[in-house]
Amino acid sequence: MFAVVAVLARRPDLLVLGTPFIAAAVWAVLLRPTRPLGVAQSIGHRTVREGEATTWHIAISDPENRADDVAAVLEAPMWVDQQPVDGQVVVSPRDDGHDRLDVFIRPTRWGVHQVGPALVVASSAWAGFRWEAQNYADSSMLVALPRPAQFDAAAPAVRSPGLVGVNRSPRPGSGTEFASIRPFQPGDRLRRIHWPRSLRTGTLHVTATWAEHDRHVVLLIDALDDVGESEGIDGLASSLDITMRAAGAIAEHFISAGDRVALVVLGARGVQRVPPASGYRHLRRLLEAMARVQPAHSVIDDGRMPRGLGDGALVLMLSPLVSPTALQRAVSISDRGLAVIVIDCLPADIALQEPDDPFVGLTWRIEVLKRDRDIRRVREAGIPVVPWSGPGSLDVVLRDLHHRVAGSRAGRR
Amino acid sequence: MNDRRLEESWWLLSRSRGVGVVLRVLILVSPVAAIACTRLAADHSLLAINVAIIPLAFVCVVYPDSHIGLLVVLLVGIEWLVTVDDQATPWSIGVAISLTVFHASVAAATVAPPAARWTRAMCWRWSRRSLVVMGASACTWAAVAAIDRYAVGSSAVLVVVSLATIAVAAMWARDGSVGVSQQ
Repeated sequence: MFAVVAVLARRPDLLVLGTPFIAAAVWAVLLRPTRPLGVAQSIGHRTVREGEATTWHIAISDPENRADDVAAVLEAPMWVDQQPVDGQVVVSPRDDGHDRLDVFIRPTRWGVHQVGPALVVASSAWAGFRWEAQNYADSSMLVALPRPAQFDAAAPAVRSPGLVGVNRSPRPGSGTEFASIRPFQPGDRLRRIHWPRSLRTGTLHVTATWAEHDRHVVLLIDALDDVGESEGIDGLASSLDITMRAAGAIAEHFISAGDRVALVVLGARGVQRVPPASGYRHLRRLLEAMARVQPAHSVIDDGRMPRGLGDGALVLMLSPLVSPTALQRAVSISDRGLAVIVIDCLPADIALQEPDDPFVGLTWRIEVLKRDRDIRRVREAGIPVVPWSGPGSLDVVLRDLHHRVAGSRAGRR
Repeated sequence: MNDRRLEESWWLLSRSRGVGVVLRVLILVSPVAAIACTRLAADHSLLAINVAIIPLAFVCVVYPDSHIGLLVVLLVGIEWLVTVDDQATPWSIGVAISLTVFHASVAAATVAPPAARWTRAMCWRWSRRSLVVMGASACTWAAVAAIDRYAVGSSAVLVVVSLATIAVAAMWARDGSVGVSQQ
């Protein structure tokens, strides 16, 4: 344009003004790419614990070596943090010597998150030619397992009656049957230390035992409600957050003790039940099932007794105790003769908070009163209700339960 | 990078940092510098055009992918053509450098999202290429100044040859662009 006007108007000075554009255009056309780039996107780990980070990889292949700048934008879903913060990265494959872009992603809440695909844009010299790709087949599901809260129980195990516990488990665990003497590992109980061997060798050794097959723990998760605001792993926790983290901690505790743990979810869409089993692989299975739990916004409960509640099972029900349906279910399970413990997972501060709206505050106080009444009725039915408070939460009730079971056995004799 | 797809240009602008901020400042400053150079060359300027250029440059900051930049360049050219009489004035180099900076800044702003961290190699490459183009502008000015010393008479043949050369060059550039877009 400048050149045409320069010629027609006899103004060669316009050529000086047009030179930058002419030079850039010629440069861009001379270095134009003729083939599109190859882009492959992948996620480092498909399953992580909430709060742990993984990487979104974008690999670039440019056979012509004519892509000057390659940029990518990864739009992360809710509950997934990115580093760089906006998921925007750029690199020059030729100048920087990198043929891949990495975005660190960190789920801040348990659940299944769809991540990617990133929008990838490559530009040639002077941004003269641009190529972009966003293949939705490259998106990945990131499973964020609930990070188990800290939990330990010093109470003696409640042993189920019957023949199950007579034979030792084929796996090592917390039992009475001697298995071996092995070096001390973090998490071993101090009373298991084998002092003679430790003194002889100079390093701590412990007595390993075989696990026993005599406890069947059922984690009954009430997903009918998710009460409270969730801010992810770094902030406030909703009732379902507390439930999942507590369930993960309890499952981890009983699995490490060699027990069989089953999972039953009330009201959630998707997962309903994980059959009882033991071992760390099963723990992973349980956590993955928990990660896929979604709060049911409408009550999906057929009223039937959940399957998998075998005789002698210890049922640990984790619930915010807001829905009467869940409490009725606890009573009906207890009526079958199973040991039931209800763990209150309502956030501690939520029952005390006063909303700004006086009517909402009044409604909430009425709800809290109804909840207290329902809890009282459950307790009157002989079901212990304990608030979740981490390590030692269940010690008192487990000890009571142990005495009760031992007493009933003595009575039978 | 690709504001059309993200459709959040204002939000993107607020996320600018580092080189992204520098580029956006240059997009605003370089047309002002071109206006200043034009005024210095002509001792006067067209207020209406000057007033129009500034908001258009601001639109370029928000939407570097748009064609508004072309309008900015066009207005700078028109102002130069109308106000400047001295064809060999060295201020034309100043305008050319300003336009180079404007063009490079707008182009560079489109290759990466505003919050992306530019590598040192990228900064160096864009600077180096801009300096080469500025050098080419200076050479053109030297040629124009040399021609200006001689009174070249009107020549229909010269005009036709020049226009034909421009047409061939334009077709060559267009063929290259269309070829890639059709792939």
